[in-house]
Amino acid sequence: MNGAQAVVAALEREGVDTIFGYPGGAIMPLYDALYEHPVRHVLVRHEAAAAFAASGYARTSGRVGVCCATSGPGATNLVTGLLDAMMDSVPLVAITGQVRSELMGTDGFQEADVCAITQPVTKRNMLVTDVRAVAETLAEAFALARAGRPGPVLVDIPNDVLKAHLDVTAAPIEPFARGGAGPRVSDAAVRDAVARIRSARRPVAIIGGGVRAGAVDLYRLFVAMLGLPHTATINALGAAAPGDASFLGMLGMHGLKAANKAVQRADLIVALGMRFDDRVTGKPDRFAREASVIHADIDATEFGKIVSADVALHGDLRDTLRALVDELARGHVPRFDDWAAEARLLGGALPSDRVACDVLSATDVLDRFFRDVPDDAIVTTDVGQHQMWAAQRAHPADPRKYATSAGLGAMGFGFPAAVGAAYANPGTPVFAIVGDGGFQMCLPELATLRRYDVPVKIVLIDNQNLGMVRQWQELFFSERYSATNLADNPDFVAIARAYGIDAYPLTSPADADAVIARFIAARGPALLHCACHPTENVWPMIPAGMTVDDLMEARA
Amino acid sequence: MTCELTLRDVRSVARIVNLAHRFNCRTTHVTANAGTTVSARFAFDGAELALARLRAQIDRIISYETVIE
Repeated sequence: MNGAQAVVAALEREGVDTIFGYPGGAIMPLYDALYEHPVRHVLVRHEAAAAFAASGYARTSGRVGVCCATSGPGATNLVTGLLDAMMDSVPLVAITGQVRSELMGTDGFQEADVCAITQPVTKRNMLVTDVRAVAETLAEAFALARAGRPGPVLVDIPNDVLKAHLDVTAAPIEPFARGGAGPRVSDAAVRDAVARIRSARRPVAIIGGGVRAGAVDLYRLFVAMLGLPHTATINALGAAAPGDASFLGMLGMHGLKAANKAVQRADLIVALGMRFDDRVTGKPDRFAREASVIHADIDATEFGKIVSADVALHGDLRDTLRALVDELARGHVPRFDDWAAEARLLGGALPSDRVACDVLSATDVLDRFFRDVPDDAIVTTDVGQHQMWAAQRAHPADPRKYATSAGLGAMGFGFPAAVGAAYANPGTPVFAIVGDGGFQMCLPELATLRRYDVPVKIVLIDNQNLGMVRQWQELFFSERYSATNLADNPDFVAIARAYGIDAYPLTSPADADAVIARFIAARGPALLHCACHPTENVWPMIPAGMTVDDLMEARA
Repeated sequence: MTCELTLRDVRSVARIVNLAHRFNCRTTHVTANAGTTVSARFAFDGAELALARLRAQIDRIISYETVIE
């Protein structure tokens, strides 16, 4: 056995069935080991797509996503995907080839100090210098990616280590260090939290991406036993039980009015597995001014980082919710149905920005799409206006049914993430909602769809603009539209067809229902090209650094 | 702010110094003795908020050095 075969054996031990990658010189021994091996390798057309596909795989399955790339440019092309996974707490293992050990430090061909480059964008990275350490290093990488707050780990392996003979009869190297049990939420803090919930008059729960750690059922139980009005960050869409009338929708910059207003009127915020991102809080010292805060998180670094917590619940969110539910059940269980009903009335219908009845509106398309999309479908989105319009309208059955680049906001994420989601969830319909800007960052992945016949369907909201930037230029930069006009977009329908992908052009509102229905019902990969109005804006909007008091629902 | 840390990975020393720079803190002292583990001592000057943010990030770096089950 050589080092590369040891890598593949380690992947098998971790239960890995699929890896996303792109070959190159330094990592060739690994590709040789993968040849005719049961671990499936999906050839993407750019390493960035490998990282995003692995992220989509992980986000929609809960399993560790795996990507690989060669040294130098291959590895550096993974960096955005690694940071995206870091920001959104996605368990990922990236394996990179490195130049031969004797070339390291010589500015060798395709040499990059990948461990130094990726230190800030991974939980940790490891350079394997001894073939005997391959198995243990990968075991540690997978354990670390999953442990506590999940995230990405990179393992860099020089070409000579991948080729080196491994004596499998030799004594194993020392096992990696384990830090023992994770944090257990304090009983006293739980009692304090429950006392505050019992005495609150207008509590609101905010659920974040931490709910993906298997906490959905307990979260639904917690809010249901209290009749608690609750809202979600974009990473937690799907946490609310379908049809839960106490759910106020997404909060934040483009969140629903009821959610933002209820949070601002709350006297108690129960923040669960969320990190008070600036897109959620706006100006932190004016956020939920009248509220005390209960903050639950697995990562102690989050306490007080943006918003001070009156009660910090440090631990796994499942354990925390179980403890809260049990402590509540030991005594009086308050009900907040009246306040939840009042909170719902703080909102109203989403403001419309539809400008002409004979031109296709992006929000109209998405209203119809989410009306018709199957309940069990997985939806990924790219980044920009369509991401916000979708988040306002989506009603996923579970957080693992919805994937978006939330913290990093990485354009080019949505389409390859859908490819990863399709591999992780065979038989489940998968849709990628993308804009014309982000789609052009990953167009070559149409070849990946075609090669493997991946049944991903792409909803392309083409408004011939980098729409979110255009919207900000309109509102905050005196309509100086610098570098956002994409009126010279290519013919996306022709491009899809050139790759052998079925394409459904949609230009008229009158055809929308029929074309969308045909697109959803189609078998195999497909593109729905929606030629939308160029200046439709996302409303409501809380301008950056402002509060719900400054909420905009239309152009001034 | 001074920190006396036991680190598993000597590279974390560089990471911490880089973070201090990023948060506009001045690293006024660094010593590190590497054996099985690394005993490191740092001193930083900077705004209170920046130092608090740096301390939290240092804690995160240390927590990622071992696998907590």
